[in-house]
Amino acid sequence: MKPYREQNYYELLEVSPNASPLEIRRAYKTIFDLYQDESIASYSFFSQEERNEILSLLEEAYLTVINPELREAYDRKLIELGLVEEGKQYCDKTKEPVPIYDFKKTQLYILGSTKRTEDLRSCASEKPVIQKILAQETLAGTDLKRIRTELEITLEEIAAKTNVRMAMLRAIEEEAHEFFLPMVYMKGILKSYARYLQVDENIIVNGFIKHIAEGK
Amino acid sequence: MIGQNWESAIAMSHIWSIGGGKGGSGKSFLTGNLGILLAKQGYQTLLIDVDLGAANLHTIIGIPHPEKSISDFVNKKVVTLEETVTPTPIPNLYFISGAMSNLDIANLAHEQKMKLLRNIAKLPYEYILLDLGAGTSFNTIDFFMISNSGIFVTTPEPTSIENIYRLIRSVYLRKIRQVLKTYDFRILAEEAERQNSSATISNPDVLLHIMKEVDPEKGGMLEKALSTLNFKLTLNQLRKHDNPNTGGLICKIIERHLALKMYFTGNISFDDRVHNSVCKKIPFLDLYPYTQTTLDLRECCKSLLSIHDVHPILQDAVD
Repeated sequence: MKPYREQNYYELLEVSPNASPLEIRRAYKTIFDLYQDESIASYSFFSQEERNEILSLLEEAYLTVINPELREAYDRKLIELGLVEEGKQYCDKTKEPVPIYDFKKTQLYILGSTKRTEDLRSCASEKPVIQKILAQETLAGTDLKRIRTELEITLEEIAAKTNVRMAMLRAIEEEAHEFFLPMVYMKGILKSYARYLQVDENIIVNGFIKHIAEGK
Repeated sequence: MIGQNWESAIAMSHIWSIGGGKGGSGKSFLTGNLGILLAKQGYQTLLIDVDLGAANLHTIIGIPHPEKSISDFVNKKVVTLEETVTPTPIPNLYFISGAMSNLDIANLAHEQKMKLLRNIAKLPYEYILLDLGAGTSFNTIDFFMISNSGIFVTTPEPTSIENIYRLIRSVYLRKIRQVLKTYDFRILAEEAERQNSSATISNPDVLLHIMKEVDPEKGGMLEKALSTLNFKLTLNQLRKHDNPNTGGLICKIIERHLALKMYFTGNISFDDRVHNSVCKKIPFLDLYPYTQTTLDLRECCKSLLSIHDVHPILQDAVD
């Protein structure tokens, strides 16, 4: 253990560098009781000068660390000296309210990054193959698959972002009727699918449903 | 016990020396009662009263007139220390009295002391408890340092705490002296004196730091030797209104400022009836088995047993 003269304020108070003000106040009270003049536990251990020196050091440490501005300056000094790692010091988290719902983030999560979305949109409108398919009266599962492969999107990607099961996506592309859900659900799923590919959702939904109805 | 058995018995023996600077802090009381507790748990236990010149452990464990004593060995009336061992009414508990000795036994010559220390370390018992005298004379300190796991006893009173710090510092300084031998110690003491004139007495820990600066190799050796010390502290006679954390705080002070390991074994409550048990010459544990104090003694014994430190055969103190 280092002699107390060489200890930093946190070591003197026996708290970690990221201790909260409440912890610091408690630690100071405990340690002050240990070194104060009336303390029975340290009786006769120190000479009066030593005791005064320790007490004034402790007071200095406490008054620095309990004051947010002084503490920040002191922490910076410790970081420069390499005694505390950057990012390990205390930062007050109570002042900024934490958002419960982050709408922006949720939307991005569903649609992927904005850049990707725009790329897809331009890609879909530029490719003649896709435009030709979209112009058809009805859309088969294979047509949807064609659009998707043209855009170089995997089923896994769609499943991950839209939360539609892989089996269901595969069932749509392969027109496996036995796995289909009631039409109202199928519409929702098709919409998500179309939206992820950045093509007109109405065309996709109507085209596919018409195709299925014809097939029956 | 000869040969193999004897050897294995030595290897197993734990020596607990029980000291405390001040008289009346309960060293003999604790030694006697801990010994009885250990014996009742089936350990072969030997109590030795080395409070030479003011022995009274025999009274605590209820043997008013021991027939043999340690001075028989010192004065060569008997050849081996084992011949001075007296059995007690308690099974598994044996005893070497310090009473009935001639008047100058308190001033044991260095040679005699060393011989005694060597022979104590060789005794074939599982637990050997030494009851030390008050004060910080060389005799007391050397007996204390026969093992690395000495127990300090103090009461929560300034006088007692003052003396316990005094004793701990003396032991600390003696250990430094032992490790460094005379020549190096003188150099170190001179250097310390030069740097800080008040250092040697009040802050023996300063010596370690200076030694590391002067001679890093020997400083490291010294630090290692000091880190093998594994002391315990028991706070005796805790009254209702005393702060029960005092013992823990004392340990903290010692760890912070002397860099010594100090394990707190717990508080032992004050009980007026201890006086009765001493007057009746019946061990407290037997006379008042269902009291807080007895409970505390049991807890203390349990926590001491939980820290296993095998006594290294014939350690430095016996050199």
